[in-house]
Amino acid sequence: MIAFLRLAVFGFIAMSVMYVALSIYSRSVRREELEKEWDADHPDGGDAEARDAHIEAGMQAYQGSLRRKLIWLVYVIPTIVVLVLLYLTNYY
Amino acid sequence: MRYVKWTLLALIALSVIGFFHYTLPQHDIVRVVNTYQERQDLKDWTRIFWSSPDDQSTGLINRDVQFIQAVKANGKPAVYRNEDTGWSWPPYFKFDTANLQTQAEDNKSTAENPKWVSVTHYGWRNELISIFPNAISIKPVAGPDVTIIPWFNIVFFVILALILLMIRRMWLQFRERSIDPVLEDMGEAWDGVEDRAGQAADEVRGFWGKLKRWLGTWKGKPRV
Repeated sequence: MIAFLRLAVFGFIAMSVMYVALSIYSRSVRREELEKEWDADHPDGGDAEARDAHIEAGMQAYQGSLRRKLIWLVYVIPTIVVLVLLYLTNYY
Repeated sequence: MRYVKWTLLALIALSVIGFFHYTLPQHDIVRVVNTYQERQDLKDWTRIFWSSPDDQSTGLINRDVQFIQAVKANGKPAVYRNEDTGWSWPPYFKFDTANLQTQAEDNKSTAENPKWVSVTHYGWRNELISIFPNAISIKPVAGPDVTIIPWFNIVFFVILALILLMIRRMWLQFRERSIDPVLEDMGEAWDGVEDRAGQAADEVRGFWGKLKRWLGTWKGKPRV
């Protein structure tokens, strides 16, 4: 039981670290895309405030996007892998 | 210095390869000849090469371990231990030791009338320190020459490579977006500090210069 709890706790910590890191990465990539999008449309730089507004709107849209939700797979996939390994080793 | 660096790198590479070689599954085509159970003393450093099937086993100084004796196609012996890994390392989640022992018993055969099986196992056999690979599963195969493709290891290394590439990309993105701008700011700030330090140095030089000149005024006139 202690071994199971140890696996669960450390697994959860590892997956959470991965989740946070991936969230930051994904957000950063999205923001960079938005910046490049704006800069491509406005080669002269455009209005700085409008640029900020464009990026903020894009990030708001990102909050509800599928891509952001897919990061939850970081928790789902390892759990499924453990269950599959458990099945393959003992019952297959 | 170069030798130190290469020795260190070689040691790291060797540890990584050794780690995977010990932990990842391998297949042996063998003929099971016998199974036995033996009391094992576990109170020295070779304890790390035995499992901890349950929570009590970590405190035990000896316990019974089941073994599977087999012979390879080339006639060399292969002895496996048969232990649960449970929820601990390595993550095989093996709980079916008793079933596996039964299967091994069922597949016993003689040299005259061989039944070939593929034994999936991890770990190393070392006679000097009496360690044994741990058998994970037994599957009957057609003959001693069948080729077994290590699908699990292939998939494992592909996924590991993808994860490492992903971590590298994440790091590069983080550096580009979060560290470099700060370093640039710091660089600018540093330039500012240097400028100010330069000015201050001039001022100080001026101050000390003035002081020295002033001190000089107290010196007696050079004797003739």
